[in-house]
Amino acid sequence: MDMKVTRNNDATLVEFDHLRLDAAVAPQLKAALLKVVTDGAKKVVLDLHKVKMIDSSGLGALVSVLKAMNGQGSITIRGASSSVMGLFKLTRMDRVFTLETVAA
Amino acid sequence: MKAMILAAGKGTRVRPLTNVLPKPMIPLIRKPIMEAIIDHLRTHGFDEIFINTSYLSRSIEEYFRDGDRLGVSIAYSYEGQLVDGEFVDKPLGSAGGMRRIQDRCGFFDRTFAVLCGDALIDVDLTEVLRKHRASGAIATIVTKPVPRDEVHKYGVVVTDDGGRVLRFQEKPKVEEAASNTINTGIYLFEPEVFDHIPSGVEFDIGSQLFPKLIAAGAKVCAVSLPFEWVDIGCVSDFWEATRLVLQGRVRGMRTPGTEIRPGVRAGLGVNVSPHAIISGPVYVGSGTVIEAGARIEGPAVIGANCLIRGGAHVREGILGDYTRVAADAMLEGHIVFAGRYIEPNGTAIELHDADIGWLIDDARKPEVTPPQHGLLRDTMREAAAQA
Repeated sequence: MDMKVTRNNDATLVEFDHLRLDAAVAPQLKAALLKVVTDGAKKVVLDLHKVKMIDSSGLGALVSVLKAMNGQGSITIRGASSSVMGLFKLTRMDRVFTLETVAA
Repeated sequence: MKAMILAAGKGTRVRPLTNVLPKPMIPLIRKPIMEAIIDHLRTHGFDEIFINTSYLSRSIEEYFRDGDRLGVSIAYSYEGQLVDGEFVDKPLGSAGGMRRIQDRCGFFDRTFAVLCGDALIDVDLTEVLRKHRASGAIATIVTKPVPRDEVHKYGVVVTDDGGRVLRFQEKPKVEEAASNTINTGIYLFEPEVFDHIPSGVEFDIGSQLFPKLIAAGAKVCAVSLPFEWVDIGCVSDFWEATRLVLQGRVRGMRTPGTEIRPGVRAGLGVNVSPHAIISGPVYVGSGTVIEAGARIEGPAVIGANCLIRGGAHVREGILGDYTRVAADAMLEGHIVFAGRYIEPNGTAIELHDADIGWLIDDARKPEVTPPQHGLLRDTMREAAAQA
């Protein structure tokens, strides 16, 4: 799974490099993000600008990780395309994650 | 009076709506666009109508049949072939389509109208006909003035002071445009025009026939009238047009049904819970169930036989027939049609591919509560409760 993790002072940036965040890759992403969290990251920025589509399993994986943070941290989604944003809004997950609006 | 409606196009710019329907059959609330056009033609005495069809022709032919239901007579010219059991569409272009009909049966034996089947119009055709006859032109184009800064979107028609067409400019830059009257794709022709249309080939009215007529010195005139023209050029136009119809702002298109609450109209056999919150303008299709705690915020159209579960919120949406929306889902500004969740700009998520059938699906399918999405579902419910 193609993913790049960059730690800096205030946040851990995770860049996810697949076109699809779906059932096929969700378990690996979940495991990798859980590791980032257990390694101590409180603020995670997940860069999804390469992602063309996300399915329920992909979104579910992100929710599991957020729940595992137990109210002690946050996950910000960066670069969500309109169809990725569409699924977040449909499930009201835009209220639960921070979605960074893309600057022009 | 005789008319031809052009309905052979593929409507590619309105995908995915046109994945399953040809553009003239796209419904505004419940009425296909072309039905409104036929009603309008009939009002002006055009009651013998030939329609050319190609892409998804069957839906047009089966809906309108011979036209008696609408008080007109209709015939169809299918442009294509049946090869190895499959329909292979072979559209001939607007003028090519006219020629095919003329070659087949000599239908056009007097002044006739030609117009597109996919834009709503309320132009005074009687007045256009009067002016056409008075001018002695072989062809009259109905043009419409538009704001100067919009001319770049259209085919501009340049005339002399007497209304005779001098030339055309296709989508000119604003500073280069020689007029602000645009071609609306509504024409009146004399049968002599067929002397200028070749048989058996693709031929287009705007880009081929008119230049040929003008080069031959034939008299082509333009009649400029202000009128309502609702063209569905893209998905967001469909959205905008639906909104206008719901708000009662389109002449000739009314929201059907009966008013069940202020601003809310519904078809037959609707079951709307007294504890459902609905603010208009909204149309609810026949047989639809809206449960307690569901919220619908207009402008919105809910199709027939839909099911909106409690806690779901539809704000400014258009839902096709047989749509089921799961509890707590939040649909804002989207269209649900042909198995897709579609944004106003046309971007679509396929319900099946994105595995969101448990949120939005065909109401005739068994309802599923996939255990693997249990956490997501519970988190949705929490978020809905706080909304």
